[in-house]
Formats: sequence, C-alpha cells, structure tokens
Amino acid sequence: MSAPVSTQKTAPGGNVMLDLVKQPIVVALILIAVLLALGEALSPGFASLQQILRLAIVAALLGIVAAGQNLVILGGREGIDLSVGGVVSLSAILAGNIMSGQDGGILPAVLACVAVGALFGLFNGLGVTLLRIPPLVMTLGMLGVLQGLLVVIRQGIPSGRAAPALSQFVSQPFLFGLPGIIWLWIAIGLFMAFLLKRTVFGHRIYAVGSNEQAAFMAGVPVRTIRVALFMLSGMFAAVAGICLLGYSGSSFANVGETYMLPSIIAVVLGGTPLAGGRGGYTGTMAGAMLLVVLQSILTTINIDESGRQMIFGATLLVLMLFYGRGKAMRG
Amino acid sequence: MTELLIRGARKAYGATLALRRGDFDLKGGEVHVLIGSNGSGKSTLCKIVAGSVKPDAGEVILNGQPVTIAGPQASRALGIGIFYQELSLSARRTVAENILLPDLPMKGGLFVDRVALASRAARYIAEFDGVSGEGFAADTPVFKLRADQRQLVEIMKTLATEAPILIFDEPTSALDRAQVERFFEILKRLKGEGRAIVFISHRMDEIFAIGDRVTVIRDGETVATSNIAETDVPSVIRQMVGDHDEVVAAPPAAPAVSGDTGTALGVEGLGGSGFSNVSFSVARGEILGFGGLHGQGQSAVLRAIFGAAPRASGAIAVRGEPFAAANPRQAIARGVAYVSGDRGRDGIVQGRPILENVTPVHFLRNRLRIVRPGELQKKAAGPLDALKTKFQTIDHPINSLSGGNQQKVVIARWLIDRPDVLLLDDPTKGIDLQAKSDLFALIRQLAGEGLGIVLYSSEDAELLANADRILVFNSGSVTRELSGEDRTRYNLYHAAYEAA
Repeated sequence: MSAPVSTQKTAPGGNVMLDLVKQPIVVALILIAVLLALGEALSPGFASLQQILRLAIVAALLGIVAAGQNLVILGGREGIDLSVGGVVSLSAILAGNIMSGQDGGILPAVLACVAVGALFGLFNGLGVTLLRIPPLVMTLGMLGVLQGLLVVIRQGIPSGRAAPALSQFVSQPFLFGLPGIIWLWIAIGLFMAFLLKRTVFGHRIYAVGSNEQAAFMAGVPVRTIRVALFMLSGMFAAVAGICLLGYSGSSFANVGETYMLPSIIAVVLGGTPLAGGRGGYTGTMAGAMLLVVLQSILTTINIDESGRQMIFGATLLVLMLFYGRGKAMRG
Repeated sequence: MTELLIRGARKAYGATLALRRGDFDLKGGEVHVLIGSNGSGKSTLCKIVAGSVKPDAGEVILNGQPVTIAGPQASRALGIGIFYQELSLSARRTVAENILLPDLPMKGGLFVDRVALASRAARYIAEFDGVSGEGFAADTPVFKLRADQRQLVEIMKTLATEAPILIFDEPTSALDRAQVERFFEILKRLKGEGRAIVFISHRMDEIFAIGDRVTVIRDGETVATSNIAETDVPSVIRQMVGDHDEVVAAPPAAPAVSGDTGTALGVEGLGGSGFSNVSFSVARGEILGFGGLHGQGQSAVLRAIFGAAPRASGAIAVRGEPFAAANPRQAIARGVAYVSGDRGRDGIVQGRPILENVTPVHFLRNRLRIVRPGELQKKAAGPLDALKTKFQTIDHPINSLSGGNQQKVVIARWLIDRPDVLLLDDPTKGIDLQAKSDLFALIRQLAGEGLGIVLYSSEDAELLANADRILVFNSGSVTRELSGEDRTRYNLYHAAYEAA
C-alpha cells in the first residue's frame, strides 16, 4: 500500500501574499494589530506603549507555560499537558515560602521549583510511555494530584512572599527599558528556536511527532524523547510559577489554574496542530500575545472571568475547525 | 443452474496494471480453484466479484444477465457470499452474533431476536462439532478464541449467507487437518446441492483434494482452465511460470570483495512469532534472497534481526560477533540497516524536509548533538546522488516527492555511514521501474563494497534477477535453498507451493 501523498505544492510567484496570509503566525500578528486598534477605539490609551508593555509581561507568563505545552504537543501521539496549571500554582507557593521576601532565597527557590516541575513532568512522561496511559488522562490525573497537594500544603502554612528583586525583575525595567521577564521570554524564544532547529533532539521531536513508527525504525529513542518533553513542560511551568509570584507579590490559591486552556490555545493559534509534528515556538509566542490582548479587550468591555473562559473555550473549538484537526498523516 | 462468467476484466491502479484480461467461469455444482503467484491479479479478480473493486473494462455475467456489482451489499444481494482472508469479525461479540452479523434476526425492527439467533447459529456451529476445539460455543466472545477457531467462525459466517455462490479466499490457512477435512466434507455437500464454490489456496495438496477445475492466472491474465482430474502439480506450476521458465537468473557477480571476505550475518535457529528454526548466513558481498508466498515469515525474520519484532529463540552474529538487538537502535549501532517496503508506516517522516529524512541514522551512529545543516547537506548529497534521487531542494518536504524518490531518500539514510548488513524488506513495493533499476544497481554496488545483503521481494522476477542465492519460505520455515542453475522460476514456485 502506498502512502497517501499530500501534495504541498509551492504556489506560483503571484500568490506569495496569499501564502503569507495563510501562515498562522502572520494571521496572529495581523489579529494582534487589529485588536490593539479596536481596543484603542473602545478605550483610548489601550494601545499606548506603556499598556502594550504591561500586556507583554502577562503574555510572557503565558508564553513560558506555552513553551512546554508546545514541546509536548509537537511530540505527537495526542501529546498534551493538562497539569501545567497545577505545576504553576505549586511552584508559585513553593517559591514564595522558600524565599519569604528575602533576595537570598531566590536561587534555592528557583532550583527547588524547577526540580519539582521536572519531577512531575517525569511522572507524566513515565505514565504516558511505560504505563501507556493517554496523555490527556495522565496529565488530568496529575492535575488532580497537584490540586490535592496544594490544599494540603496551604493548611497552616503562610503562602509566602516574593523577594523584592524578583518582583523588580518581573515588572520594572531591566535593560533598554524592558523588564527582565521580557528578556527572559526572548531568551526562551531563542533557546526554543535553537533547540528545535539546530539540535538532534529537536529534529527527533519532529520525527517522533510526525511518524513515531518510522522514527523508532530509524533508531530514535522514542520513549526517552517523550519523557524529556514532559519534563521540559514541567520545568517551564515551574519557571512561569516563579515569575507569576514575582508579578503578583504573593501567591494565592490556584493562581496557575487559568493557564491550562490558554497555553493550549496559544500553541494552536501559533500554528502547531494538536496532532503534532509540525509548527514551532515563534508562532506560539505570537499566539500568547494575541490571547492576552484579546483577554484585555474582553476586560475592557466588562466581560467577567466566566465569560472570558467561555470565549476562550469557543476560540479553541473554532481554531480546531481551521487548523487543529490536521490531515491524517498516516495511511 | 447458477453460472457466473467474467469476460476480459481489466483493472489498473494508476500506472500499474493489476489485471490485464481476467476470464473466469463458474458453474453450479463445482469447486473451482483459482491460483496464481504473488501479484498475478488473482485477488483483484476476487475483489471485482465481491464488488469492492470496480473493473475498468470487461463484463460480469450472472445467470445470463450482465450485472454491475456496485459494492459488497450489491454482491450479497446477487447471491454471492465471500470469506475474507483478513478476518472481519467483531472481537467483543459472541460466536453466534458474528455468524449472523450480516443478517441479524430482529424483533420489532429494533431488538435482536435472541431465540432465533441461537437456533439459526446452532445449525452452522453443529457443522464443525467435534473439531472446533475447546471453549468453542455459541456464546463465547470471539476475542477468547484461538486463530483456527476464529477462522471457523469466519467460515460459518460465510456458510450462513446461504448464497448460491460462495467464494473462499484462503479459508484453511489456520486450520488443522481434522478441521480441513470437515470443511471439505461440507464443501462436497454444498456442491451436491448445486452451489458454485470458488476456492483459493496455495496448498497444492488441498487444491487437488477438493477442486473440480482449476484456473491459473499469470501476470494479470487468465492462462488456462483445466479439469483437476486431467492435470497434475507440475503442469499447474508450469502454467503459473509460463515462458519465463528455465531462464536462469542473471549470473551472480561472484562475491568479489576487495579485502577480507567472510560472513556478514549469521543466523542460527531463529524463532519467533510467525517463524521458527530459521538458520542462514550471508557472506560479505552476497545478496541473499528471501522468496516464497506473501507472509510466510520473511518480513518477520528480518524485523526480528533488526530488533523491531520479538525473538523467542536463536542466535544472531554480525561479522562473527554475536549480537541480540532489543530495539532497532541497538541493531543500527552494530551496523545493521533495514529498509521497509511500507515506507508510509516505517520509513518516511511525513511533512519534514528531505534532509531530516536522511539524517536520523547518522545522528545515532555519530552521537551528534548539534545539527550543522551545511555539513549535513554535503553528507546527504552523496547517497542521494548515488541513488539518482530527483528533488528540487533538500529543504522541500518529503511528501513533495514521488513514491520511488521517497523510498530512495529512506535508503539514503543508511548510506552516509556504511552498515555491515543491509536488510531489504520488499523495498520496491509500489515504486516505479526506473527507481527499481536505480535501486538494484546500487544494491549490487554495495554488495561489491563488502556489505552482506538480504533481499525479500514479493516480486519473483526481481528476486531471480538480483539474488545470488534464494531461500524459499513456507509457513515460517526455510523449505528450500536455490543457488546457481537452480534459480529458476519453476523451482521457486514449486518450493513455494508445496505443502509445508
């Protein structure tokens, strides 16, 4: 039986514009511009430089979570990490308690949180590869465990405070007028681009994501890669949790919960289909920014949290209709 | 009396002509055997009768009336019942339900009539009383049955159609002798009732035991129909072989290896799922062919050596050193390469650039961590050129290439770092002639460089033309070795079709 060959013809010269418009990242950037203009019309000052910078900080928090989500989804076989929100919350609380307002506690807090994030990622990865639990079920179960753990931890223990240096890093200008978290996000963007394009590991992620069997037959250590992806996802979520602590000053119950759905939407908006094997992180960054701008507009026109959640859910479904379903790659 | 005539049926899949001129006539009261080698067009002919394939030309005449069989339902409505080689049972449903699945007795148009179901199914189950084996009952779910018992259910399901025309496509492959004998008794009775039966089997003994007439198909054309009583095994095989006979394969390039010769791959008593006690050795510079009918264990052996399928017993050595790969990665590390004919499943990484489809093995053998695209492109260019691969740029997605070129890319991935052993598992399936000849030219050249090559091909001509020695597989074992002057099509068929 011959494989179904999807003809990806390069369009003749005249259609370069059309091709460009079909790129998810271009769509996302256009939508960001449109939404900013719309926001400016609705409430003058919405698109001011100051305001855009504030949105970028929020987008960076989401973008860091989405980096891990992006990797897991790229790895294919229904890869998805629903536990990211729980890890963000746990990391924020853990970091707050370790540093309790002291700058000296930042380094131990970062190390501890990243290690904990990696550990939960390891559990997810092992459950998916060794026990063959579908990622959706495995990470949803892990989210339940994390939520329970959060309740236990918070009994009697103060939730902790961010170190001043951390808060400054997140919200105050750090270099060339941009806060440290923006630089961190840019660094993560460069790291992801390098990882995916220039490392053997990155090439293997795509191979596993688009044809696991062929990758296995070419000697790619499929399980190791999948475990590593879940661990990276846990680590990125932990980093986001620490930054979130710096952003809000102190951690409170389930701060991270709101990140699960948006992190998935940002990835899909950025052109990585849920089927995996295609896409990258640059688009996801644009997707994160787009989502944050959308969220801000919804707030501006007085739509409350529940309404926003509904709109996000609906957005994901609409996105699935356009590019999420992906063509069946295997014959 | 029932009569089915097929006249000049023709079917092409793209550029491949699967059936050139299929003629077949079937009468009530006979068991008519249909036989032909791999890819002769026999299954295409069957599919035309079943309605799952629409012929490009030709006619089907049923009881004097030209008919068009639009689909499986239509074929059933015309009174044709078909036993499918690939079992089509519902694993979670019971034996009785499966037997009557095409026509479940209903109550009130909505509910299954349990009583009628049990009594109707009991008739067919009783047919195999005493030979159906332990645990076989009307209410046993099919997933609990053994392979032979499932095949019995499939036979019962076909019998339950009560159709005047019954087509059995390899119905006995999993049955034991007692079951086969019972099945033949049933066929004789049905024949006596005036039913028309088509019987497809590769076992000559069965064919001569049950058949009344035999029709041979070769290269997409019906060659001859003869009465079983007036023919014999050698004549049938000669009809399958045709004029190709006695054309001895191209003289093998005598294993002329510069430097040291010796054994590239040694396999001793290898056993596993679908094969047992397979032993052979491949010299450096030699192309060893695996022949025989489809699915007689050839692929399973190659996959087991490569670590992609489990092994139960046996020893493997590469260049004299014992090795046992638990997965392909370990096999690759020891210099074993494997190319699958199912490139969509095992070969290409869809949607990714050509370069990324060439490099994964190189990464593994050189323990690289960082990708340097410029350097890799240079390394990939050599093997791609050697195979005369046609592509626009190496950054184009692999899906933009034709099937033959995709397969060349997959093969190129093994050539950046030369392996010691190259396992080819029907590598030319579905690729064009030019690509095939490019490929075999390269394979011979690689042998000349000292590789040991194992070639399994489902195309006998390919095997005869390229292999220095041929092992014929039958039911998971090597039954015959053909070398030198013995490598004729006749010998190949004879070994492939004799009872295991």
